[in-house]
Amino acid sequence: MSGIILQVENLVKRYGLFTAVDGVSFAVPKGKVVGLLGPNGAGKTTTIQMLLGVTLSDGGTVKYFGKDFAKNRQYCLQRINFSSSFNTLQGRISVWENLLVFAYLYSLKKPKDKILELSDYFEITHLLSQRFWDLSAGQKTRVNLVKSLLNDPDIILMDEPTASLDPDIADKTISLIEKLKESRELSLLYTSHDMAEVTRVCDEVIFLNRGKIIAHDTPLGLTKRISNATLKITFDGPKSLVEDFLKKRNLCFSFHDPHVVNIDTEEKLIPETIFGFSQLPILITDIEIKKPTLEDFFLQTARGSLDVAN
Amino acid sequence: MSLTRIKAILSQELFITKRSLEVIMDLPVFSIISIVVFGFISLFLAGTVESEIAYYPLVGIILWEVVRIAQYSMSVGSLWNVWSRNLSNMFITPISTAEYLIAYMISGTIKALVAFLLASVIAKLVFDLDILSLGLFNLSVFFLNLIIFAYSAGIIILGLIFRFGTRISALAWGLIWLFQPLTAVFFPVKLLPPFLQQIAYLLPPTYIFESARGVLSGQPLNWNYLGVAFVENVLLFGLSLWLFSLMFRKSKETGQFVRNEG
Repeated sequence: MSGIILQVENLVKRYGLFTAVDGVSFAVPKGKVVGLLGPNGAGKTTTIQMLLGVTLSDGGTVKYFGKDFAKNRQYCLQRINFSSSFNTLQGRISVWENLLVFAYLYSLKKPKDKILELSDYFEITHLLSQRFWDLSAGQKTRVNLVKSLLNDPDIILMDEPTASLDPDIADKTISLIEKLKESRELSLLYTSHDMAEVTRVCDEVIFLNRGKIIAHDTPLGLTKRISNATLKITFDGPKSLVEDFLKKRNLCFSFHDPHVVNIDTEEKLIPETIFGFSQLPILITDIEIKKPTLEDFFLQTARGSLDVAN
Repeated sequence: MSLTRIKAILSQELFITKRSLEVIMDLPVFSIISIVVFGFISLFLAGTVESEIAYYPLVGIILWEVVRIAQYSMSVGSLWNVWSRNLSNMFITPISTAEYLIAYMISGTIKALVAFLLASVIAKLVFDLDILSLGLFNLSVFFLNLIIFAYSAGIIILGLIFRFGTRISALAWGLIWLFQPLTAVFFPVKLLPPFLQQIAYLLPPTYIFESARGVLSGQPLNWNYLGVAFVENVLLFGLSLWLFSLMFRKSKETGQFVRNEG
């Protein structure tokens, strides 16, 4: 178990009769990014809050580095950190002052050197003298990331770190996170509603719904659970020929215009379908295959139209 | 116990105090205004009653400011972080509850001491009251007892805010005023109706204000009163820590602690 940084077993949280987190178990291995996904109210944020000790669980255990978090709070918190777009730092004081406070809270030996090193890495040195509440959303996110790295953590819990950022800043933030993951062998527990971001960053994804884990796999593994794909064929020739061909094969299709057809089919039937098209007396000018994405998995699971057990 | 983590909270307190007009208004400015107002009341009374009695209001307000400022610092210090949605960030660091509370007690003591010195200087220069005439030892004992009471009140109020949320945050600066008449800051306890006297004697500052008036009138220090005040303070402080711990835990159980940040 030496490669496991965070081990969660049978975590439960109830608010009255409502069970927000219902027997959640998972592990975050060293150097891996594990995504925690699910629709609003699935229990992601409550899980993170319990993992940080700011909300108390009603059952289950949380272990960091093999030690029980409840009994070794200070030891564990010295080696973990948190970043979220929802929590901010103290708005009235400067970025430098904020970071200095946290450097002291983590009892750093050379706090000023560490702040300057990380500020340089995240390109916020010019912001150090500014008050935190005067910063833009993107700048606040970068300052939060500096804060979350001050203690050289072994694991960072990130709760939607790019929410409310514009696409350019979000992309830069993700690049920084990828860089961190590679350079520091850092473990991350990551929640986000941006499926493309999760696919890009996460090694494993845990899908929560109504407080329960309903799927745990790699991003690719989850998308493979959706067997259907969309085949889009652009052609030059009579529409009726194509229609007859697709009807004979009992395929589900729709025409965008007389020369473009979208065919919903199982992924494994795509080569056969394309071969069949090639036998028709038409000219195929373009073929596009839209494979299922994590977003499709998310939407189908959240809407209950996918049996995730398969 | 880590001194560096205590230093972290003290540094944050200093940074916030420097940059917040609200703190500057609530602490030194309000204190100065109170001293001036009660100083003039004392000057007015000096022309109608014997001079020691005339100075009861001024001595009362100087000592009361110790309670108000220390309690304010204890309770409002955390609210700055709640309002900035930074409180849970602080509590996911290795800081312990004891370190957190001790830091605010130190901060409150420093602020109360500064205000007390400032008030004493104004009293001497403007109203010709030498607070040192009460005796340095006596003043130290009064200060210590008042500040322990302020911590207890501050810790209970902080616990209530953690437990029930920022909708009751006005208690942080408002509740302490309830104790001003009850502890007979400006007048002898015997003026209170009998049932209020019984409540007053359950509160440690009552004995301190009575003792201070006694010394001002030339009587020796009432050690019995000081003893009762100290015992009550110890009990109240213990009760406040127990209540805080209970409310803090409940706040984390119900999810209120993170909801406080909206």
